[in-house]
Amino acid sequence: MSNSNAPDSPAAVIEVRNGSFSYGETPALRNVSFQVARGDFVGIVGPNGSGKSTLLKIVDGILTPQEGESLLLGKPVRSYGRKYLAREVALVPQSFTLDFDFAVHEVVDMGRYARKGLETHGLSTDELLEKLEIDALKDRRFPELSGGEKQMVVLAQALAQEPSLLLLDEPAAHLDVSYQLRLFDWLKKLNNEGLTIVCVLHDLNLALLYFESMLVFSEGKLFASGPTEEVLTPETIEAVYGVHAYLHRHAGRTFLTFSPRSRPTRKEKVHLLCGGGTGAHLMRELVDLGYSVSVGVVNAMDTDEVTARELGLPIAAEAPFTPITDEAYRENMSLVEKADLVLLTDVPLGAGNIRNLDSLREAAVMGKDVWVLDGVAERDFTGLATGILEGLVDVRYLRDTQTMLVDLGERV
Amino acid sequence: MKSQKSNKNTILIGAAVIALFIFAALLSLALGPANISVGKVFKYLFQGRISGDASSTIFWQIRMPRVLLALLVGAALALAGTILQGLFLNPLTDPYVTGVSSGAAFGATLTFFFNMPAIPWLSLLAIVGGFTTLIFVYSIARTRGVLNVYRLLLGGVTMSYLFFALVSILMIKSGRDLHAVVYWLLGSFSGRGWTEVKIALMIIPFLIVPFFFADELNILLQGEERALELGVEVERVKRVLFFVSATVTALAVSVSGIIGFVGLVIPHICRLIIGPDHRKVLFLSIFMGASLMTLSDLLARVAFAPSEIPVGVVTIFFGAPVFLYLLRRKTA
Repeated sequence: MSNSNAPDSPAAVIEVRNGSFSYGETPALRNVSFQVARGDFVGIVGPNGSGKSTLLKIVDGILTPQEGESLLLGKPVRSYGRKYLAREVALVPQSFTLDFDFAVHEVVDMGRYARKGLETHGLSTDELLEKLEIDALKDRRFPELSGGEKQMVVLAQALAQEPSLLLLDEPAAHLDVSYQLRLFDWLKKLNNEGLTIVCVLHDLNLALLYFESMLVFSEGKLFASGPTEEVLTPETIEAVYGVHAYLHRHAGRTFLTFSPRSRPTRKEKVHLLCGGGTGAHLMRELVDLGYSVSVGVVNAMDTDEVTARELGLPIAAEAPFTPITDEAYRENMSLVEKADLVLLTDVPLGAGNIRNLDSLREAAVMGKDVWVLDGVAERDFTGLATGILEGLVDVRYLRDTQTMLVDLGERV
Repeated sequence: MKSQKSNKNTILIGAAVIALFIFAALLSLALGPANISVGKVFKYLFQGRISGDASSTIFWQIRMPRVLLALLVGAALALAGTILQGLFLNPLTDPYVTGVSSGAAFGATLTFFFNMPAIPWLSLLAIVGGFTTLIFVYSIARTRGVLNVYRLLLGGVTMSYLFFALVSILMIKSGRDLHAVVYWLLGSFSGRGWTEVKIALMIIPFLIVPFFFADELNILLQGEERALELGVEVERVKRVLFFVSATVTALAVSVSGIIGFVGLVIPHICRLIIGPDHRKVLFLSIFMGASLMTLSDLLARVAFAPSEIPVGVVTIFFGAPVFLYLLRRKTA
């Protein structure tokens, strides 16, 4: 593709320079600048109302920025006619209504409107439908299709335009997980074949999974941009969405989970004695409820240790497969001392971690609230537990984690 | 396979509607207070006017212009309805929502009020009234180069009310010939001649224009924004089609008055028969509109012969139940 008009960025398909746009008095985009190069696969994320859809409409020439410039292939978008634009840029819209009884192949053919009378090198409608694995829908009436099927047909319509740039506005919003993955797999494939793709999406985990680079929008401004793993950090997400985000690596994938921003009313500190994954769920619930949580003594790489680390909690940790040493015990006790409440989960007790019971006893003696999940004797493989707990009058025994959480909520 | 079958269907339907069209025209030429046999109809058609033959005079001076008018007006209203329903994406739209017909009605009522000779003033003032309204509504609906269809719709409806208020005042004030005004307003082909036919013939070129925009009309069914994305110069298409439908409506109203329900119901019937594709619907609605209007006028002439009822009454009597049925079907 020759592109002599933009010597400073010959590869840029899209270039927005200081673009601003307002709907009446309401600003939607403020001074946004970025470029998308040929062959890029870019995701756009940001909270509702952050200007993502407006941006796509500006790139596609539906809207013109009131300030700044939007260039396509080095020329202002508004300098092109609609027909020419439709041959270069296709958009898969957020919502699509067509209540009239057209057959699927007719709807797809509408995508060819701008290429009428021109030589075409692309796929026929039949081939296109086959490629997207929806050839069975060919003669079906469009209004009778399911949401997912419709979305695939609209994608086919957009591809029938044979564009060099494909824009998508939350294409997965109405799709079940199977269609979602199919759609993004297809986009990946199309991108490998040379199509430049820019996609607005809400699901940050899909973004992590599929996209090479990201633009993050917040309140009409470009907040961050760059390679996905560098951009979608918990810090960025917290700043933009106002929620806590935690990055997990599991089963060979990186993914995010989220918690609401802590309520400032909860000041209590809870220390969890756990291990082997018995505390992970409780940890998460407590963090989401806004408690300050600490964890100990757990072995490094243990599920509870990994979870606590991902949640950014203070941990007293011991080396893997190592019984609790004095050093770890002291570290744990310093966390216990700061806590208002000490919880013991249903972690099995063996020679390695029985000293956690000693710290529980110490906590009780200090006058901390101490809560324990029922059935300690059954989980005890050392025979020492009953003896250690003996004589502790203020320990509260609870049936299960759920009761624990409920009682915790009622605790004044 | 399947598309071949549907092509065959389309051709069959097309042939059927053309047959209906010819049948309606011939039947209307033949029947009336003085019946003319089909054989004679053909004879007159081929030989032209035969001097001294009274029924030949009736055929050429009364019946032929009337049938031609009904065919043209029916085609115009059905086509305008089809276009506007597509443009507005609103199934309840008819050619009269643009306010053009009310403007025409006002112009026509003026001629009754001032007792002007019907030829040429009635049609002339009706056309002037129609076009003035068209330009007014259009300029209200257009801002910064964008034609807002909702404003077009609401502006048109508002203008309709305004003109009907004015027409009412004129009717009350005139005190005479109320019967003629009411008759005209309800729509009729009674007493029309070749002068009106000459005006109505101007409809024909406008009937052809929309066929060049059939693809665009189809794409516009997905909404204006989607149409832009697919490469349609939406503003140009809307402008052309709005002017075409308003023009044929003004011309039709100027020669026939306000004949209701044709422009509303025929497009729906056509879509039911042949599907939503405008390449087919436009064609079908022209011929269906022409045929059904002509048959309605025939009924208006012969149902209570020797007296006539306005054809607008007939179309309402047939159109209203059909439309209510369609409405039930749609919501069910």
